[in-house]
Amino acid sequence: MRHHEEENEEETMKVKVRFFAQFGELLGTDIIVEPVSGTVLSGLIKEIAQRNKDGYNAIFDEKDTFREFVILMRNGKRVDTIDAVTTKVADDDEIAVFPPVAGG
Amino acid sequence: MIAIQHDDVDIGKLITNAKQRGMGAIVVFDGIVRDDDIREMELEAYQEVALKELEQIAADATKKYNLFSVDIIHRIGRLKVGENILIIIVGAGHRKEAYEGSRYIIETIKAGVPIWKKELRKDGDRWVPGEHPQGTGKFN
Repeated sequence: MRHHEEENEEETMKVKVRFFAQFGELLGTDIIVEPVSGTVLSGLIKEIAQRNKDGYNAIFDEKDTFREFVILMRNGKRVDTIDAVTTKVADDDEIAVFPPVAGG
Repeated sequence: MIAIQHDDVDIGKLITNAKQRGMGAIVVFDGIVRDDDIREMELEAYQEVALKELEQIAADATKKYNLFSVDIIHRIGRLKVGENILIIIVGAGHRKEAYEGSRYIIETIKAGVPIWKKELRKDGDRWVPGEHPQGTGKFN
């Protein structure tokens, strides 16, 4: 049987969101947020991105969906932007948002 | 040596250290800042993830091409024209494996490792667009 506390939807967590390259310039590089339990990846990123219009428009299109080139990672592993609407964030997660890579 | 760092490296020393019994070829790839009418180049990395991915690429290349040694040093920070950006040193029994292993490593890095370049140009700064616009590199 599950404990009552585990079902508390209002429980808060600590999540680090990191933006890189031009996204970092527009939105900041390391942002600590405390989303409520049940928050999904796309919702969390949208909320932060709304702090800066250019930053938001760099990541989301006019239909408020991720632009096709945006890359997401959760704890070092890629997450398809399509899955970001259903992927819930967890306590201590590190989320990264960045444009196509250009190293080498 | 697999590293992401600000400092340059002594390529000659890396070659000397790479040499071992049975090795017949060493291929050195040295990616440098090209004079594309820029003042400087600034490189940024998602360092923890990029380092793990470089280590994985080195391990995969070693297995796939039967390499004896792999060194990858990717520099970050501000670099001037002519400075080293990326050094890959691959040692193998024969030239074929050494060349193929080196090529595999550079192409895999370009396809997926989270590192970005910004050109600091005379007419304004510009982030270099990735070669893989969908970001569909090896590390999906």
